[in-house]
Amino acid sequence: MPGFEIDAPGTSQLLMGNEAIARGALEAGIGFASAYPGTPSSEIMGSLAPVAKKMGFYAEWSVNEAVAIEAAAGASFAGVRAITSMKQNGRSVVADFVSTIVLTGLGKGGMVMVVCDDPQAHSSGNEDDTRTMAKWFDIPMLEPGNYQEAKDMTKYLFDLSEQLDSICLLRSVTRVSHSRGNVKLGELPRRKYKAYFEEAHDTRNPKQSKFVQNPPPPLHAAQHRRLVKAQAIFESSPFNWYRGPEKADLLIITAGSGWLHTQEVVKKLKLENRVGILKLGTLWPMPEKLVRQHLNKSSKILFVEEVDPFIERNVMELVASSPDIPRPTFYGKRSGHLNEYGELTPDIIIKAITGILGIPYQGRDADYAKKAEELAKNLVPKRSLALCPGCPHRATLWAVKTALKMDGRNGVTTGDAGCYSMGTGATGFFQVREGHCMGASCGIATGLGRLGQYDFNQPVVALCGDSSFFHANIPAFINGIWNKSNYTLLILDNNATSMTGFQPHPGTGMVAMEEATQVIKPEDLCRAVGARVEICDPFDLKQTTDALLGMMADNKGGKVLISRRECQLVKARKEKAKYKMHVDTEKCVGESCGCDRLCTRLFRCPGLTWDKKAGKSKIDTVLCAGCGVCADICPQGAIIKEEA
Amino acid sequence: MAVEAKGSRELFKEVIEAGLCTYCGACSGGCPYLVPYKGKIALLDNCTRDEGQCYGYCPRTFLDMSAISQQVFGVPYGEDELGTVKEVMIARSTGKRIKEKGQYGGTVTALMSLALAEGLIDGAILTRTGKDKAASAYLANSAAEVLQGAGSNYLACPVLETYNRTPKDSHRKLGIVGVPCQVIALSKMKQKPPENRPDIGDVKLVVGLFCTWALSPDGFYKFLKENVDLPKVTRFDIPPPPAKRFDAYIGTERKSFPLEQIRQHTMPTCAYCLDMTAEFADISVGSVEGLEGWNTVIVRTRTGAELMETAKKKKKLEIDKLPAQNLAHLKEASLLKKKRALTEIIKRSGSKNKLLYLGLSPRLVDKFLNGQGGK
Repeated sequence: MPGFEIDAPGTSQLLMGNEAIARGALEAGIGFASAYPGTPSSEIMGSLAPVAKKMGFYAEWSVNEAVAIEAAAGASFAGVRAITSMKQNGRSVVADFVSTIVLTGLGKGGMVMVVCDDPQAHSSGNEDDTRTMAKWFDIPMLEPGNYQEAKDMTKYLFDLSEQLDSICLLRSVTRVSHSRGNVKLGELPRRKYKAYFEEAHDTRNPKQSKFVQNPPPPLHAAQHRRLVKAQAIFESSPFNWYRGPEKADLLIITAGSGWLHTQEVVKKLKLENRVGILKLGTLWPMPEKLVRQHLNKSSKILFVEEVDPFIERNVMELVASSPDIPRPTFYGKRSGHLNEYGELTPDIIIKAITGILGIPYQGRDADYAKKAEELAKNLVPKRSLALCPGCPHRATLWAVKTALKMDGRNGVTTGDAGCYSMGTGATGFFQVREGHCMGASCGIATGLGRLGQYDFNQPVVALCGDSSFFHANIPAFINGIWNKSNYTLLILDNNATSMTGFQPHPGTGMVAMEEATQVIKPEDLCRAVGARVEICDPFDLKQTTDALLGMMADNKGGKVLISRRECQLVKARKEKAKYKMHVDTEKCVGESCGCDRLCTRLFRCPGLTWDKKAGKSKIDTVLCAGCGVCADICPQGAIIKEEA
Repeated sequence: MAVEAKGSRELFKEVIEAGLCTYCGACSGGCPYLVPYKGKIALLDNCTRDEGQCYGYCPRTFLDMSAISQQVFGVPYGEDELGTVKEVMIARSTGKRIKEKGQYGGTVTALMSLALAEGLIDGAILTRTGKDKAASAYLANSAAEVLQGAGSNYLACPVLETYNRTPKDSHRKLGIVGVPCQVIALSKMKQKPPENRPDIGDVKLVVGLFCTWALSPDGFYKFLKENVDLPKVTRFDIPPPPAKRFDAYIGTERKSFPLEQIRQHTMPTCAYCLDMTAEFADISVGSVEGLEGWNTVIVRTRTGAELMETAKKKKKLEIDKLPAQNLAHLKEASLLKKKRALTEIIKRSGSKNKLLYLGLSPRLVDKFLNGQGGK
């Protein structure tokens, strides 16, 4: 069944925001796509890769975002249109490269970077606003307010990119990327690329290549000229428009999902005749003339945008530098009318608008939220954020906890990004004691592991997944070995990039376009740089604990323990559960001495439940994955595993 | 005074963090939170119980000597420096292989093998040293397996963890060989039978080993590792006074260390222990001054007496009288340990009326403190 790639111009299709972005890339005739997975951006490559072969373009999951954007630039330099996508964390990873490609410009192939931000950090370690980067690095940037725009803007940015000779940025947010709406499709061009790097050395005309950022100041000036050009184009862009009365009681300047909410709220409040909305799609450079034209619509201006006051500050700058504009009153994040952190909701915007206009508004009973919570309490099963039943990480983290406590020196684990980062909480026994960005587990461990001269004797375990090992831990790991830092690297190898949807990585033997490739084993890489490597099965708790204890006791050289077992979700697609579990209620001693409810109070696999009335544990046979690990942690031998 | 109901929190506060843990293993094995490792009990996670058997059976929580004596022997704790005694003798194994491997006379090994053969027990919980010479407890099911436990390396070993790990529904009759603190913990279990652990009634034989102090499985093991080629060592020995040395044998070659050097690696808690001869065992066994190749044997209970009788009858043990002078020395040494320990306890608590864990009548306290400790 064809999906977003269907060749049916003029028809409407229900597309997810990220599919719409991918569709825009197809309609732009891309020849190259690259990405590293990251929520909420993963579905862009997730859509493109499976159709790449039949659509005749190249797509790859890269080892990290920096490599991905550099690979896309390579394609652009040889005349091939290229797209690269990432989440906001990845945008920070690519920053160095971006700062240089804005100086050199592109090849003949247009190049678009898509960054999907995650306001409220639903699936992220931060809620950074990417838009500042556009201003910081001088990149033309658009932000779609709906699914149609997501597609249209992506396609348009390729043309603009080629017109300006500049990388262009599309900023999306979770609410646009991860929701669905109708999109009217356009044509699918069948471009035949003949890739050629035109800046090859010519003996008859020796000169420096265009793709060298040297000397930077004039190149910087050139990029500013490109922005002036972009600004002129944006003044009449169809992605910006105004809806509302000629003279409004309130002007709202908004973009993206902020605009989606604003529309709804104004309609709900029946304020269409009093409130004007200036919706911007081209956010950087800001179309100043267009904005100026609308500033006299009202003496009160409210800015509605996710996450930082980006438009708000840019408009303020504009007003500050334009003495001819009458000074309006600004409302938004700076005035405290909207939240400076977290996601916008229609409720928050209603409160801001009714507050500014002095309109009484009671959307619902004052105690509605409380009543709803009470009602929901009985309908929702009590369950906290947890690793899946049968997840190998739970077993590994249990072994980590055991080993660190047995060792007795208050050992610490440094964390990375992946499912196991839930090890910061109860489901991972609070074992992850530090969590920042990808690649930081080895880096931070390297620092801790060099503090021996200051009486530091806590063992250090750097925790990372297989995908995050390849992503950015390798340089940090090599640094640790080079500088003789004392720590143990524990790779939780579940043979997948699980948290973002099982994308392949260098250890899986597969590439994005579903072809087999060489398997790059973490153990081979680690051994090649002289580390002592052991491999264990996390479901063998004793083996894993003992191996870790042995490594922590060893103060010399690089030490790597690979805790290897396939992600349970991947496994469950291929094979049935290994064990059928049950609790022998005769043997289960529940809360009494000799257990104190170890399995449901501490181990906390969702497949285990506590029968409060009986004072015994129970297996939830619907959730239980049959991994059998709980049988090994039960101190009374009451959890029984039988071959299924 | 009854034992207060306390749990792992108090165990850590009053015993483990106070440096009083003997590493006997009584708290672990039946508990998922307490795990012995390298001479220390580790707390793996938070146990929320206010009352725990870990606290109850610890030999360093309140120990009512008289109540324990009543439980084991049916008499109050008495005056004798050696505890309750039926008979004291010397013995040695008649078995050639046992004699070769045994520490002195191989009496313990011979007795446990015999108890197995006679059906008094189905299994014996013993200590053995691995190739790396680290000590570990194990369950021996045959004479051959018992023989693996012959010999000593003087390292503290959590034997009772292995006992607590025995499947509680197996109902196998067990024999346990332990040092005095372990025998005390077992006696506490006899006094108040454990729950969710093996049936203490299945422990049919307790053989105690004489002990003046045990060595730290962490510190001393590291010392050994640095100073001798551990895998090659065939035997360790602390010969009876006045030798004052620790010997490691590689075949016939002997490497000796002055006892003073070794003593810095003893478990600190041993300084607070009054019991040299495992006073609550069925049979207690140790070395004999001046008689190499023999063991001193103290028979304390009917079970012990019957087993010794069988050993004599079946010619498993050669038995003789303990010379009077040796008996006097033994009593002196035992009393001296009591005096030293009480002095240490009082030094720490600051009062004769506060004896840390010890429940002993003021009369006996004075008697032990005034006892003539000999050399």
